[in-house]
Amino acid sequence: MSCHQFENMHSRREFLQKTGLGLGAGAMAHLLGGCASSSVADDPHINGLAGLPHFAPKAKRVICLFQSGGPSHLDLYDPKPELERQFDKDLPDSIRRGQRITGMVASQTRLACQPSRYKFTRHGQSGTELSELLPHIGGIADDICLVRSMHTEAINHDPAITFFQTGSQLPGRPSMGAWTDYGLGRMNDNLPSFVVLISVNKEKSGQGLLARLWGSGFLPSAHQGVQFRGAGEPVLYLRDPDGLTRDQRKAMLEGVNELNRINLAQAGDPEISARISQAEMAYRMQASVPELMDLKGESKTVMDSYGPDVNTPGSFARNALLARRLAEKGVRFIQLYHRDWDHHGSLQDLLPKMSRDVDQPAAALVKDLKQRGMLDDTLVIWGGEFGRTPYAQGGANREKYGRDHHGKAYSIWMAGGGIKPGTSFGSTDDFGFNTQDNPVHVHDLQATILHCLGINHERLTYRFQGRQFRLTDVHGRVVRDILA
Amino acid sequence: MANRCTLIAGGTAPRAVLLLLILVSALSAEEIRFNRDIRPILSENCFFCHGQDPKHREAKLRLDVRAEALLEHDSGFAIVPTHPEKSEIIKRLLTHNPDDQMPPPASNRKVTPAQIELIKRWISQGAPYEKHWAFIPPEKAPSPALTDRTWARQPFDRFVLAKLDAEKLKPSAEAKPGVWLRRASLDLTGLPPTPADIALFERDALRHGEAAYASAAERLLASPRFGERLAQDWLDVARYADTHGFNNDSGRTMWRWRDYVIESFNANLPFDRFVTEQLAGDLLPKPTLDQRIATAFNRNHVINSEGGIIEEEYRVEYVADRVRTASTALLGLTTECARCHDHKFDPITQKDYYRFFAFFNNVLEYGEDGRIANAVPLLVTPTREQQAKLKEMDAAIAALDARLDRLVADTHGQAALRQQIAADDTKLQARLMKPLLPDPKKPDPKLIPGARVTAKDSDIDAKRGTTLSLWFKAGAGNTSDVPLLVALDRSGSPAATSYGNGRELRLCDGELEWTTSQKHPAYATIVRTVGAKITPGEWHQVAVLIQGKENAASISLFLDGEELPTHIRHDGLSGAPGKRDWFLGNDGKSPPFIGDIGEFRTYASILKPEQVREAFSLQASGKSPNHSAELAAYRRRTASTQKLQVERDTRWAERLAFARNLPTTMVMEELPVPRQAFVLNRGQYDAHGDKVAAGVPEDLIAPWPADAPKNRLGLARWFLQPRHPLTARVVVNRFWAQLFGIGLVKSVEDFGTQGEWPSHPEVLDTLARDFVDGGWNVKGFFKSIILSSTYRQTSDASPELYARDPENRLLARGPRVRLPAEIIRDQALSIAGLLTRKIGGPSVRPYQPAGIYEGIVVGADYPSTKWIEDKGEDLYRRSLYTFWKRTVPHPAMLTFDSPDREFCSARRSRTNTPLQTLVLWNETGYLEASRKLGERMLKEGGADDASRTAYAFQLATGRAPTVNETRVLVRSLAKLRADFTARPDDAAKVIKVGASVPDSTLSAVELAAAAGVANMILTLDETITKN
Repeated sequence: MSCHQFENMHSRREFLQKTGLGLGAGAMAHLLGGCASSSVADDPHINGLAGLPHFAPKAKRVICLFQSGGPSHLDLYDPKPELERQFDKDLPDSIRRGQRITGMVASQTRLACQPSRYKFTRHGQSGTELSELLPHIGGIADDICLVRSMHTEAINHDPAITFFQTGSQLPGRPSMGAWTDYGLGRMNDNLPSFVVLISVNKEKSGQGLLARLWGSGFLPSAHQGVQFRGAGEPVLYLRDPDGLTRDQRKAMLEGVNELNRINLAQAGDPEISARISQAEMAYRMQASVPELMDLKGESKTVMDSYGPDVNTPGSFARNALLARRLAEKGVRFIQLYHRDWDHHGSLQDLLPKMSRDVDQPAAALVKDLKQRGMLDDTLVIWGGEFGRTPYAQGGANREKYGRDHHGKAYSIWMAGGGIKPGTSFGSTDDFGFNTQDNPVHVHDLQATILHCLGINHERLTYRFQGRQFRLTDVHGRVVRDILA
Repeated sequence: MANRCTLIAGGTAPRAVLLLLILVSALSAEEIRFNRDIRPILSENCFFCHGQDPKHREAKLRLDVRAEALLEHDSGFAIVPTHPEKSEIIKRLLTHNPDDQMPPPASNRKVTPAQIELIKRWISQGAPYEKHWAFIPPEKAPSPALTDRTWARQPFDRFVLAKLDAEKLKPSAEAKPGVWLRRASLDLTGLPPTPADIALFERDALRHGEAAYASAAERLLASPRFGERLAQDWLDVARYADTHGFNNDSGRTMWRWRDYVIESFNANLPFDRFVTEQLAGDLLPKPTLDQRIATAFNRNHVINSEGGIIEEEYRVEYVADRVRTASTALLGLTTECARCHDHKFDPITQKDYYRFFAFFNNVLEYGEDGRIANAVPLLVTPTREQQAKLKEMDAAIAALDARLDRLVADTHGQAALRQQIAADDTKLQARLMKPLLPDPKKPDPKLIPGARVTAKDSDIDAKRGTTLSLWFKAGAGNTSDVPLLVALDRSGSPAATSYGNGRELRLCDGELEWTTSQKHPAYATIVRTVGAKITPGEWHQVAVLIQGKENAASISLFLDGEELPTHIRHDGLSGAPGKRDWFLGNDGKSPPFIGDIGEFRTYASILKPEQVREAFSLQASGKSPNHSAELAAYRRRTASTQKLQVERDTRWAERLAFARNLPTTMVMEELPVPRQAFVLNRGQYDAHGDKVAAGVPEDLIAPWPADAPKNRLGLARWFLQPRHPLTARVVVNRFWAQLFGIGLVKSVEDFGTQGEWPSHPEVLDTLARDFVDGGWNVKGFFKSIILSSTYRQTSDASPELYARDPENRLLARGPRVRLPAEIIRDQALSIAGLLTRKIGGPSVRPYQPAGIYEGIVVGADYPSTKWIEDKGEDLYRRSLYTFWKRTVPHPAMLTFDSPDREFCSARRSRTNTPLQTLVLWNETGYLEASRKLGERMLKEGGADDASRTAYAFQLATGRAPTVNETRVLVRSLAKLRADFTARPDDAAKVIKVGASVPDSTLSAVELAAAAGVANMILTLDETITKN
């Protein structure tokens, strides 16, 4: 054996893998995660990587309420009285500073300042200013940390969403949830560790989402998010065909396992015992997932707190409640998507509707977690891929207007899981165009999320095509000021 | 890190050295070789700061080049050959002082004690460097001495055995003939052999030995399934998909390229030609249609149609994607890092990257395109059947024309004709639909170039259709591209979303070109005539028939009364343009038309071909006395020729309609003048650095062939020159991985200094050398491997061997690998008797759970935003034909590790998850296959449970079950039967699955029970594994 291979054989991964194999079929049955084949993905993603978490985590799990399309920070989170004074005046060059704008307004002869038509008021002890469109989030103002100085690099949806979720504008990198699953492994025996819930739009509109947003990139595909669906089967292919009983499925499973064991004795490949244990988990998931999706056990008070939409499968409200249930069951990363925030025009009609969809359920989720004592170790994130321009797309108008994409400054909020509650962090200039104090780049946010999970973002790496990759590329710094 | 910038002496740590001795003793048997043993350590730990990138170089120390590594620095010599104790590098590796320690503690890198010991021994031996192994052309190694002279069948087997000898291992026994046949069939055709095939082969093998194997191999290689099987992996590398990707992700048609790939593998096209045609088919002398289709390889990348993106940013991305794909597929190098900075590990500079980039930078393409259909440039690409049909149609029309011409020549003289024409002219105005323009009550506006006609007079209506017609006479001095009729807004920035909105008719290179555009040119229909005969100085009539959505298929162009075939230049119109005034002969930007234009008319209907011809011949009267076209046309509608003419018109219309609906393919087309390429600072599309010309890293990899042109064709020659160190190695290594589940170089996509050392360098080099010297013979290559002793070993092995060598890097056993997603499904369809055998053609949509797209795909109604399940045989096509939507790939395929094909992928992961079990249990296709297999059990499997279950088991695994296995199968069948007997309604429900109807001659209870057992069999590890 060559020296190089010798070194390989003693790598941590190889060691773990070999240890796993050495345990035999019985022990394997208890290792319940997906098990990568030894030949390609030498990866111990059953229990996460050795040495992780790097330090004691504040958050055990993450619920990311992703708002796709670019919610307007200027109409929701970041009040700008100056825009009122500048109504229909050109955005000063001193503010724009030659920054690039999208092709959609490239032909506009002027960029006219557009104030928000919505009132902002202070909420809670913290006095956080929020738009009238978010009364319920106002009610949790003292639980959240509002970051008004987010900024990103992309100005179009696809690259910007991909950047937020994977740390790169281009496809091919693992998503945050996949990194987390890869690094930390699983906390439960019956459910996947990275679950995706997507709101079903009432109107058929909105920017497309992409499976890559919860994909595993170059990590083994077992780390990709599993979508739980509001309508139809909650997990694809979960339900046995009509007419087949649970007892029959069990008998068939046992028969197959017995045959697989006979084959294992002959062939010797430990992959077969992994397949046996995966089949057993599949069988268990057939019971655990429907149980999870069944809301009968939820009290009326709780149901009501999420708002009337909670009764509609596939709604954001329903998914928010499911997110809490998943969190309770030990799912590590719960990723929600709610889309259609892309208000180039008719913002006055669309934004209130979108806000109504999410305002109450998002606030209810935070309160619900808090009530159950889970907020302390659950990190909740609300935000989109970018914000919107302080100038109008089309002409400025007091009542009816639209805004284009804007990545230079926008707002998100976080709650629980090691984040300082009742604070706002960072600021933008008088126009809400540029960040001013304490800018937070998307990579900084990602570094901070990993930090809350006990991961040093610089040390969670994966070697691919001869390079060590990480979620934050070669950037990102933990925003310590917002940590509790 | 400033405190580490100078080398200072640090203390050694004797304890660490002592500790190592035990570990190292195991290694001392072998010579140290720089490439295999030392370079990986330096590359991983040192080159990041002490490699070839000058911008990141610390302490001016460079360790990747020997001459530099031996230079004196402030604090001494990093490496002193033969003197490890004087070498600073060793001191730095051993010290515990965090200020001096290397690699720095913060770098998250670590050199193990065993590795330090290796470096010491290497320095003791004089610290010899080698060029990175993969950059040295492969040579055949001398044949090794072996313990067993009878085992090897192929030359490369000898090296495998030599390695086993060195490891004190024996090869595994030969697999049984039936096992080999199943393995080889799955590898070469992607389908399992039938039990009858196996029985026959077993007899053959007994009787004829090796010859039986050779002829079985020949048979498999000759199967048209071979091309389908080989195509599958190439489709991953070439990132083939049926949609454009990004968040609109609408449909595209590229399946003609997939056909090309399948056909090429089946025809055993030498691999160098296969690659040349794909890289540069368009640049070959007189390229065939197939060779131009092949270039779609470089257009398979994702294309973004999101409104408002910056064109250049994405155009640059597409070029970079081509670089990435070509580098990964052929060089096995990741050049991507050098896009932003000099490569840290491999000696590829940023300038090298952009010189390579320049080869792929010369396509007339746009960053934003492909919202509705294929992006430009594209080509009409009829299938072989369609080509034959076209030929047939043309021949029939030519025969009719010949007959007509004879008749026309016989008719009466010109003077009489002209009188007749004049008389008919007045009648015509009444008979034709009322023209919108000119207003019959007003005199014709004087139509001169530059004149303007208001839009409302020429309303274009999608529902009722519109016909435009005008006459023109081109003068001297026109440029090759002039406007005839323009209502297209070219004001403002071409980057703006509404740029180029409108319609226009132009005269381009002697042809008529019509454009309807929402945003020029990405969202536009652009069609151009083929074979227009336009004579300067003579009057010609043009008629444009516009109907429906104004896509390419709904525009017809007539010249002088005859409809002409059109060439689709772009077919991506995404909505109707706004109304605009017409300008005659002038677009306000390019040089205006020189000549006369007259009789611009708009008809509020689609004229029939004979009406257009009639209008032409009547209006033509007197325009050019010497012009005989109108006379001929008129004659053609006279009584004596009418019947023939009607038939001719019908045939011609059919032919044009047929041609309009032919599939297109996005292809490569070189700009006449190459686009200037630049180094892009930090990889930013708009941060132009130095100008660069196309070129390759010659010193590093291989010289440029002396007489090769500096374009993609020359590049192909560079890749495929016999002494290229990488191309053949990379290709044969990927083929090897297809068969063994893992490459000889495990990192099939990375042969660079960070990649893995080959497990068997001599095997790789022998195979690469033979592949090139034997004429890049793909079938020959596969034949040699599947007949080898290495491949023919059994994969059954002891747990100890699996534990010692989990990945089978030593090749002490045969391959045992879970099948790829496509083949698991194809095999199930095949053994259920459902598989459709048709090869090639458009992608199909088999079963997919309802609502998969819901909440994910874009809200707009773009093509391919809905999954409409196919019917009949298309439900059962091989999986490589399954419609591939990039943002939402088929979930069952994804679950079994198929990539999303957003970009080049040379290696799939192979996972083992509960979701895979669920797919096999409950996916409609597998359930239907289970029931069909159940039917086969009952009808073909004999009379009793044992023989029926054995029959299905054998279909799936290629072998008879053992007694114990039969016991389990029979018991399961009995249990299910008893259950369903008690619940016959459930039995009826269970068998109702899929589009096919259960065989009503069979008892529902029996069939439900058999289907259950069949499903168990399809779920077996052995079934979904090639062993």
